[in-house]
Amino acid sequence: MSDLGVERLVVFCRELRSHGLSVTPAEVVTAATALPVIDTTDRDEVFLSLRSILTTSVDDFQFFAEVFKRFWNRSPVARETLAPGASPKKSPYQSSKGLAFFLEHWGSSFSAGAQPVKVPGASDTESATAKDFSQFTNEELDEVSRLARRMVRRLARRPSRRWRTGKRGSRVNLRRSLRLSLKTGGELIELAYKERRPKRTKLIVICDVSGSMDMYSRLLLQFVYGLQNSFAKVESFVFATSLARITGDLRNKSYKRALDRLSANVPGWSGGTRIGASLTMFTEQWLRRVDKRTVIIILSDGWDTGEPEQLAASLALLKNRAGRLIWLNPLLGNGDYAPVTRGMQAALPYINVFAPAHDLASLRALEPHLMI
Amino acid sequence: MREEVKQIQRLLEEQVYIADAAIATALYLSMTLGKPLLIEGPAGVGKTEIAKALASALDTRLIRLQCYEGLDATTALYEWNYPKQLLHLKLEESSSASETEKEAMIFSEAFLLKRPLLQAITEHDRAPVLLIDEIDRSDEEFEAFLLEVLSDYQVTIPEIGSIKATHRPHVVLTSNRSRDLSDALRRRCLYHWIDYPTMEKELEIVRAKVPAIAADLAASVTQVMQATRTMSLSKIPGVAETLDWANALVALQATGLNEEVVAETLGCFLKDESDVAAFKAELPRICTDSFTDV
Repeated sequence: MSDLGVERLVVFCRELRSHGLSVTPAEVVTAATALPVIDTTDRDEVFLSLRSILTTSVDDFQFFAEVFKRFWNRSPVARETLAPGASPKKSPYQSSKGLAFFLEHWGSSFSAGAQPVKVPGASDTESATAKDFSQFTNEELDEVSRLARRMVRRLARRPSRRWRTGKRGSRVNLRRSLRLSLKTGGELIELAYKERRPKRTKLIVICDVSGSMDMYSRLLLQFVYGLQNSFAKVESFVFATSLARITGDLRNKSYKRALDRLSANVPGWSGGTRIGASLTMFTEQWLRRVDKRTVIIILSDGWDTGEPEQLAASLALLKNRAGRLIWLNPLLGNGDYAPVTRGMQAALPYINVFAPAHDLASLRALEPHLMI
Repeated sequence: MREEVKQIQRLLEEQVYIADAAIATALYLSMTLGKPLLIEGPAGVGKTEIAKALASALDTRLIRLQCYEGLDATTALYEWNYPKQLLHLKLEESSSASETEKEAMIFSEAFLLKRPLLQAITEHDRAPVLLIDEIDRSDEEFEAFLLEVLSDYQVTIPEIGSIKATHRPHVVLTSNRSRDLSDALRRRCLYHWIDYPTMEKELEIVRAKVPAIAADLAASVTQVMQATRTMSLSKIPGVAETLDWANALVALQATGLNEEVVAETLGCFLKDESDVAAFKAELPRICTDSFTDV
């Protein structure tokens, strides 16, 4: 590359791209305009210049250095020899088998009062608040929906720090008022106001519906359904071994019909759990929807058959991007439970709020955490 | 290394900023290509300092825009001077000027309050350095708005029209990575990452910034700081803390470091209760490691 010209540069950029570093045409153009002003025979100068132009994050530095080194030395880049972590991203979509079977039987585990498992954390009184979800009747489920709707409504009503012009408001919009005053020859007669724009918190709920969550998933889905059918921005997903978006399936339908639709449309219920792979699917497809105003709620017991490293990596991505990461674990309501599974251990450093979700009180306690 | 890059390095050194080849190259490219430079890195490694040093090296004005949540165009770009407008309308009450004439009058440049971005664009002597500090603290709306200004250095004020930059400002953006910036903004900028300095570089910085410090004290201070950064603390001290500490030691007329002196002054670089506890537990080990040759 000692005679670095535009052609060689384009090949280099293509090389970067083929290894997963996204280089836009605009960046290539910038790099090309930089060529005449740098000393293209000086390896370090070319390296520093191109790195500054073509990378957009320190995370790409090591990878860039490796590709550059190979390219400068004119040796063909052997993909296999790239360092681990620098390899091109692999798609985690893998079909899992046995899902159809589970789906067919999924509804049957819904019969009221299924598996009355005693959880030590729950009290024995019959009050719905402290009653474990695993023992809920259908009527009590409605309460869950109501609770979810109430929470979201309160969320949507909070003021943000931004202003907008409004009819009523706490402050006078001077700019507009002055303009109005011109109509009346400079006399301020009509005042315009501004008000706080409501804070738009977005919710993304990712619910585990694998076998180990069976007793809770019915109820948590009801909760998700309640969230989804309020007017705030809510996106919902379910996963077992792979991820499915259910936002549309839940919207504007009776809960029963919504469930029917889910069973028909979601090819993902099974006894197994692959949280890591499912969350990676989420980060690859939906990460763009996540910003600092987004609260991500993961509902799962943390039993994972996949690699904890993958789970940690995708959670790290989410934490960086989201306003808050909440993990609700129904097992946490059990006083004897400690999050010692490998999956849970890997996840804990990235979670802002780790809370139980086994009864109504625990869901209610969630509300303050949703305020960002 | 290219002569211009070396020159930038020299200029920054005159401003007591120790610049390595990477940052000098990034600055050179940013100025030559007219592209903003995005600098990321942990807190207290001198990101903001670069812009300040650059401004005094180029002998030009430094215009700083500190970002925060809720920052909007009226605080960053321009606002009309309402009291002045109202007063003017009152004074003109008896005049025969028509409504349109009055409007044109009060929405003219004389009634415009220039905020940092507009100031940077309308500076007429020479290109200023525009420092957009902690861009990660602002919200996404502002980022999008900024993108617009940074793409053609032109601002449109409905009442006046477009104002184009007389001199393209040297733009430096800093971020602590508290949130991910949008790809669009990142791609518009050249990128540079500043990490914690190496032992040698940090020693050089301490000696340059705190000239009164004795050579071996400077060495011990740097050694302790480097050791501190390898611990898992909730807030890792940056170079700013090193300099604070060095200054404090000079003020206390300390001649050398020992366990006692470190324990008394560690508030200079540790700002968290649990970090202090963790550090104190490690103090004897750090001291034997660092001061054996003192």
